[in-house]
Amino acid sequence: MIKTLLVSDNKSQTEKFQSIFNKNSYDFSIMTDEALIYDYISAETPDIIIIDEEYKNIKTLNKKIKSICENTIIIFLISDNKVDKDLIKYANAFFTNDMSEDLILSTLNINLRMKSSLDMLSNSNKDLADSLYRLNALYSTSSQFAGTLDKSKLIQYMIEGMDKALSFSLTCTLSLCTEDKPVLLINSLYELSEELITALKLRVILNYNSLFEGKTLPADITLDNLKVIKQIKYPASRFTFTLFQYDNMFAPISLGDNFFGCIEIFKETAFTAEDSTCFQTIAQQVSLPLKSATLYQELIETNHKLEKLERLKSEFISIVSHELRTPLTSIKNSLDILMSGRCGEITQAADKFLSMAMRNVQRLSGIINDLLDLSKIEAGKMDFNFAPTNINTVIGYVKSALSEVAKTKGLNLITSEAENLPDITADAQRLEQVLTNLVSNAIKFTPENKTIKISSSLVNSKDIKINEYFKDSIKLKEGDYIEVCVEDEGIGIAEKDLLHAFDKFAQIENSLSRKAGGTGLGLPIAKQLLEAHRGAIWCDSELHRGSKFYFVIPVSTNLN
Amino acid sequence: MKKILIVDDEQDIVESLKFVLEAADFTCYCAYNGEDGLRLAKEIIPDLIILDVMMPKINGYKISRLLKYDAKYKNIPILMVTARSQEEDKLIGEETGADEYITKPFELDEVVKKVEEYLK
Repeated sequence: MIKTLLVSDNKSQTEKFQSIFNKNSYDFSIMTDEALIYDYISAETPDIIIIDEEYKNIKTLNKKIKSICENTIIIFLISDNKVDKDLIKYANAFFTNDMSEDLILSTLNINLRMKSSLDMLSNSNKDLADSLYRLNALYSTSSQFAGTLDKSKLIQYMIEGMDKALSFSLTCTLSLCTEDKPVLLINSLYELSEELITALKLRVILNYNSLFEGKTLPADITLDNLKVIKQIKYPASRFTFTLFQYDNMFAPISLGDNFFGCIEIFKETAFTAEDSTCFQTIAQQVSLPLKSATLYQELIETNHKLEKLERLKSEFISIVSHELRTPLTSIKNSLDILMSGRCGEITQAADKFLSMAMRNVQRLSGIINDLLDLSKIEAGKMDFNFAPTNINTVIGYVKSALSEVAKTKGLNLITSEAENLPDITADAQRLEQVLTNLVSNAIKFTPENKTIKISSSLVNSKDIKINEYFKDSIKLKEGDYIEVCVEDEGIGIAEKDLLHAFDKFAQIENSLSRKAGGTGLGLPIAKQLLEAHRGAIWCDSELHRGSKFYFVIPVSTNLN
Repeated sequence: MKKILIVDDEQDIVESLKFVLEAADFTCYCAYNGEDGLRLAKEIIPDLIILDVMMPKINGYKISRLLKYDAKYKNIPILMVTARSQEEDKLIGEETGADEYITKPFELDEVVKKVEEYLK
């Protein structure tokens, strides 16, 4: 029914309108007392207010009406056709004394139609603002989700997001993913009694069990093992059991087989369909980051285990090396004494076997040194003494140390060093170790009367040619490098073995090289040592034709 | 005759060192653990000490430190024998005052040569 208020004490006017309203069954009131009018418009929000221009406080009344019921239609009763300018800004229409009943009714109807359109517009505006606010809340919540891998924080953000979007009275969040045991997070506007908390716990357990009806529960939850963490906004007031008459929504927080918990939310007023969508969205949205967080946590745990294993391996090698070295020393000392002839003369046959024992003691000691080196490098415990180093000096040392060995084997060891090479930042002793290893290998695998050549040169990264086997695994920064090449005319490496040349114990696969002796650790150690110098090592080889081992070290590197 | 103290918990190693050093005309005293080693060092005041690093209770570094920072013994040369394990490497960083490090396995002749150099 259309609610109308007539403000006039003009008897003929009031009677005229009374008859019109009655005929058209309008709900109407007629009053002039100011206080009474205010009470009426505040309580009833009439659709139409008709005010006589003769009314004494017309200006204040207008203002008051606009502030209280913005969309109410205001029509002024005027005696002649002259309109007061002040009234125009408040008026939706004017009635004159001589207006017919039909004209009055049409004017009212036109205005009512307009009002209803306006009301609709204003309502959809309000809805739009609500949706926008909710969208904003959803957006900020999902950005928060994206920003953390901490499960407790994710659950907290979810609850905060729910509060922003839905302004709940109370939520009960069951979380199985934040602590070792199940936790019930209660976020409430008001304080809760122990009895009410127990009732809420029971309700959560019931909900949880019903989610897994006929299936295995991820964890058994009982009143005793369910820990409660509550957050109360206004502790001065209390919720009572009437809370259970509030409107509520419930959702599991899960993704595929991963169950993280569930959430139930209570509100005094009814939830709308939009509220429900928003609630479901947030509950679903949190499960993906929770899953990521779970995976991340597993990754970290696996990493810790691996690190521990790696450490154990290093320690193991270190201890074993130490334990092996001590008895080895005793064997070696005994052999030394026997071979020196201080315990009696040695026959030719005895000498043969003593030498054999000695050779193997030396080999074993080499293996232990290599193992220890490798375990140190891998554990990042190798100390390097980086200093300006000239590669040709290193080549000179290695040549003088090994030329005698090469000569004994009937090999020709030559060098070809580029002049005026710039210094590199390197640990000279370690480079010597690398080069000694490469040259020793060449000596081992090269038959008599052949030549082994060590050469050095300055190259730019653009001009370094790495064959297709190693191209992908070696990434060099731009700039100048010192390149060293050890070239032999030995047995070479088969194509299929080339890629594994720098793998640990790769040599063991190869029976030919076993005869030549060695640990199979020299090349992997060389590779690691060069990597510590920001350099690289690779090889070109052809079976039965010989091999070329190259290594490069950057010229200008500050390794500290 | 010059007196040499050999301290190593590995009896076989002590035995072989003693053999070659006696052959080179040195008088050898032997200890098979750190406590005995330290006690003997103070008792006989040897001309040189060959000292193993890894020993139970009092290790070689401790002994070396105790002697080298004591005015009465600081002039005794100490040859430290190490098996180069990671625990030892940790200790090596510490200032112990040892005069020489010998890595296991070592050449007996080389040890004799070193000893002779120090006692010239």
